[in-house]
Amino acid sequence: MILVITANNREKFRPAVDAMHRDRKRIFVDAMKWNVPVVDGEYELDQFDNQHATYLVVTDEAKETHLGSVRLLPTTRPHLMSEVFPMVCDGGVPVGEDIWEITRFCAATQLRGRESFMVQSNLAVGMVELALLYGITRYTCVAAPGFLSTIMAVGWECEPLGLPRDVNGEMIGALLIKISPATLQLLRMRMGWRHPVLELDAIARAA
Amino acid sequence: MSLLEDVQSFVRDANRVTEIGELQTLLEGAVRDLGFDYFALVHHVNIYQAKGDIVYMFDYPQAWAETIDSRGYFTDDPVFMACQKSAAPFTWTDVPNLLTLSERQLEILESAKSAGLGEGFTVPIHIPGEFTGSCTFSTRAGRQIPFMALPAAYYVGSFAFEAARRVVRRESTAKKSGDDARKHPRLTRRQLDCVLLAGRGKSDKDVAQILGITHHSVHQHMEDAKRKYEVATRMQLIVRALFDSQLAFADLVG
Repeated sequence: MILVITANNREKFRPAVDAMHRDRKRIFVDAMKWNVPVVDGEYELDQFDNQHATYLVVTDEAKETHLGSVRLLPTTRPHLMSEVFPMVCDGGVPVGEDIWEITRFCAATQLRGRESFMVQSNLAVGMVELALLYGITRYTCVAAPGFLSTIMAVGWECEPLGLPRDVNGEMIGALLIKISPATLQLLRMRMGWRHPVLELDAIARAA
Repeated sequence: MSLLEDVQSFVRDANRVTEIGELQTLLEGAVRDLGFDYFALVHHVNIYQAKGDIVYMFDYPQAWAETIDSRGYFTDDPVFMACQKSAAPFTWTDVPNLLTLSERQLEILESAKSAGLGEGFTVPIHIPGEFTGSCTFSTRAGRQIPFMALPAAYYVGSFAFEAARRVVRRESTAKKSGDDARKHPRLTRRQLDCVLLAGRGKSDKDVAQILGITHHSVHQHMEDAKRKYEVATRMQLIVRALFDSQLAFADLVG
């Protein structure tokens, strides 16, 4: 089950949101050694975790645990690519009402290979469902090594926005992901299911 | 064209390929444009033992391809081992920094050299829940790797692997669903060229020379075509292609 969390319902899902920030610290700071802010020593949380962000959070029945999540930002406002990595887009940072940015895509550390892949697949389908609900036709995303093939493996249509560049010793690339109703069909077929993954109740509250 | 435009055009083409043979041709072109000579696009598993949707394609000097096979180098190839230690792409000169090489692994590197391989650049492919894979580009002995082209090679390798994954998965799904297309498969232009020349009695080597592609590519095209018709021999393939009117007798004697 995937919760759609926005500024409107963040308080209602506070335990899941807190668990997400704790896992993000374990993944991005402890394991991947990213140089990003940590709050109270246990939460990874930066300037883009604001009221404009929409999160998809994979959770369990109790809706309090965090199994995986992704942060989606409108490109019409400051976002990671426009503020931190504009140099990875050779033709300028793509911006528009129908373009959102994917950041902090992750699965909880305790998950193993297959489980982790299932969570990530669920999130990918969730992102496509959300795109169709929000009217998003393209996602952009900054990709560090190790994420690039995972992003592409989803099976949606990707394009490079520039050549990868050395940013502080890491090869950072930028991708454009095209979304259409056919993308949803393709992904669902591949996963072998038809039902929506987003919790519609949460969307109603979020809207 | 700029390197970025090269990559973008490769990505556009790779997104559309439907067969491994097409990707092989595409990748051979890209490899040369980037300034390399050889490539390998593989899941790190023993092709003869593994089941499922395995990516396994390469264009290597014949001698090296045979060595890998006969000595079973696949299982402890130091480059593959290094992939387990790195999310980021690396050059072969980085390998000793990524792992301590065993005697056998040093021997593997040595024999690669004597088989005609020079330097290399490897893009590890890590996808949760799947075997590790990689895309390696290498030069022939005595040539330096094109350092300026490495970022482009990183992308070409990653997109190529995804295209290969997509194709092998589609092939195995098609096999399962047993669709009608199998009864009257359509050969690609390249496959037809190869089958036609084979029908004129040319060996794969001759065909490679005539078409200006590698021996390995010709082999791949013939294998793809045989698989489409589900036949085992070249003769059966030629007969089936004739029967389906994909080829005319006139072509064979032309």
